[in-house]
Parts: sequence; structure tokens; C-alpha cells
Amino acid sequence: MKEKPKVYALSTCPYCKRTKRFLEEHKIVYDCVDVDLLADNKQDEALEEVEKLTGRRSFPVVIIGKEIIVGHDEDKLRKALKL
Amino acid sequence: MSDAKPERVYCPVCLARFKFQEGWKEGSTVTCPICGQKLTLRRTPEGWVGDRPDKGTEKEIRERAEAYARLKGYVFNEMKEEILQGLLGKNRRFGDFYCPCRMEHTPEFQCPCKPTRGGDVDRNGKCYCGFFWKSQ
Ligand SMILES: [Zn+2]
Repeated sequence: MKEKPKVYALSTCPYCKRTKRFLEEHKIVYDCVDVDLLADNKQDEALEEVEKLTGRRSFPVVIIGKEIIVGHDEDKLRKALKL
Repeated sequence: MSDAKPERVYCPVCLARFKFQEGWKEGSTVTCPICGQKLTLRRTPEGWVGDRPDKGTEKEIRERAEAYARLKGYVFNEMKEEILQGLLGKNRRFGDFYCPCRMEHTPEFQCPCKPTRGGDVDRNGKCYCGFFWKSQ
């Protein structure tokens, strides 16, 4: 994989936790942003990015190459990661 | 004949006023019929208010969620404990039990949030976070 997968998450969201755990269990190296823990200006940027990518403010958002997965979805993660 | 309005109790969780019932008095422990919060009654010059006896504790949010589910006939699923952990995280980081799956930290998103109290579970089968579920 050329680019590392990127995860937008909320630190308190159990579905985001499951997505992170899934990636870790499959030894996937990824970048992660806990949007709720960002400083205000960074947080606005991240929220705008999430909205631009998905049309809403729902978490987690996983970006794998051209694939954008909203919500914890192991089938979609497997497919996008070719697991 | 009395034209006195029925007395009401202010709930600091759902911010609604519910009907004061006969037999209640200062210090009575009651449950908000709208959000399930346990409250201790206190009389103020503005009327009755409920205080949160276990404010900010795990006991409080567990009891509130259980009571709300009981009031509405909703059920939980296997995510219950993880979502409760998320609610505790919100309280630690943002000061109260806000929806763990949302960015909003305002009173209307205190669990059970306003959309939930407004019928989201009946419409969608579950609340936004998948905490409360319509029973089959
Ligand atoms: Zn209430």
C-alpha cells in the first residue's frame, strides 16, 4: 500500500475503538485523528475535511486509498485492505 | 374550584418541567418521567427543582439509562458496556454525559439526548449511538 490508511475518530466512540482495534489486530499501520481532542482551530479543519469527504459528521471515517468507509464496517475494511 | 396551576419540577438533565405528584416533599427522591434521571426535590423561590444526588458518577449514568429504557420499553444490546465507557469518557473530558458518538457538548445532547427523547428510537429502531433500541 502506498499511502497509510487514515482514521478520523472520536475518543469516546466505541465503534471508532473497534475500527482502531481491527486495524491493529491486522497489523495495519495507520494515521489517526481523534477529532474531539484537537484544539479548536484544528478541530474545525478536521470536521470540514470529514464533511467534505462524507457529507456528514459521523464517525469513524476510514480513508484507504480512494475508498472512504463511514462507520465501523469490518467487511468493507477487509475488502479495502485486501485482507 | 382552584385556578392554581399544577406545580412542576425542573429537571436539570432534560431541562423539562414535569408534574409534581401528591405525597412528594422536600428531600423526596423521584425519577424524571422524561429522561429517567433520579432527583432529590428541593423547593426554591422559583419553584421545585430536582438535584442530581450522584452527579457525574458511573452510578448516575447507569441508573439513568436503565430507568429511561424501562420508561420507554427500550432495550440494550451487546454494545451497552462500551457505550457506557464512552459516556464516562465524555464526562471526564467534557464535563457531562454527552452522546459518545457525537461532537456536540451542549445540554440537548446529554444522554438520553433530545433527538432520542423526541422519538428517534421509535422512528429508526435505535438512537444515534446505538445505545437504546426499540424492542422487537
Ligand atoms: Zn429529566
